[in-house]
Amino acid sequence: MMVSFFDQFASPVYMGVPLIAIAIALPWVLYPTPSSRWINNRLTTMQGWSINKFTNQLMLPLNTGGHKWALLLTSLMIFLITINMLGLLPYTFTPTTQLSLNMGFAVPLWLSTVIIGVRNQPTIALGHFLPEGTPIPLIPVLIIIETISLFIRPLALGVRLTANLTAGHLLIQLIATAVFVLMPMMPAVAILAATVLFMLTLLEIAVAMIQAYVFVLLLSLYLQENV
Amino acid sequence: MHCVLSDSRTIGGHDAGSQHQFTGIAKYFNSYTITGRRNCVLATYAGIAVIFLYFKLKPKKKKADAAK
Repeated sequence: MMVSFFDQFASPVYMGVPLIAIAIALPWVLYPTPSSRWINNRLTTMQGWSINKFTNQLMLPLNTGGHKWALLLTSLMIFLITINMLGLLPYTFTPTTQLSLNMGFAVPLWLSTVIIGVRNQPTIALGHFLPEGTPIPLIPVLIIIETISLFIRPLALGVRLTANLTAGHLLIQLIATAVFVLMPMMPAVAILAATVLFMLTLLEIAVAMIQAYVFVLLLSLYLQENV
Repeated sequence: MHCVLSDSRTIGGHDAGSQHQFTGIAKYFNSYTITGRRNCVLATYAGIAVIFLYFKLKPKKKKADAAK
């Protein structure tokens, strides 16, 4: 059996059971459920504080109509950031390397922002296709460009997350393989590669958090235009 | 087409759009007011649809005529 660097991205199936379902459900299991008590324990309090802080920050540019999305966007953020971070552990599978999952988030959420805009304020939603102050000769071209950019948005959302996570995991595996192969032959080079691997791991931790935030932030921006 | 600008106040670098007083066709099709922008977008989409339908419904020359 040929082992390739892309085997880590194959959706795992064990005895006919797709394990991706367990991988997706894992973040839910890891977080404590806030109780109905007035004062919770330290962990739950910290969790509540950080969720509130994040939600307040995200909802700042949105009006009252957009605040209905607070629960969805915050839970999406926690879900993505947890899955991305768990995927950095050795021998784990990262569901967000699957384009199907990311497109499954991006397309419906983007489409719902568009439908909200077209339904509630159709004039403003259509007006967004032409930037204010455009010179007359450029109007048709710019409208076509803005229309294309609108439909590119869900694709960009999904592919951005997929590509960043996939590329990062691939790089880690490549450089780790290089370290192992070079260790008996050229230890000095292997130590240099190990240093690069350490810095890359730090970068991937940052990328895992940033990409989850960018996904949610862009969705909130699309919502801001339409709500 | 005549555009009369009253005192322009900018909000965050963008013109509010309500200070322009367009006349003629510019009243309905301009890139400053929200309705003007909407009408330009709709007109562009209509134009694209017309061009598409024109080429779709254009009768093709029969090969028999070309052979003659």
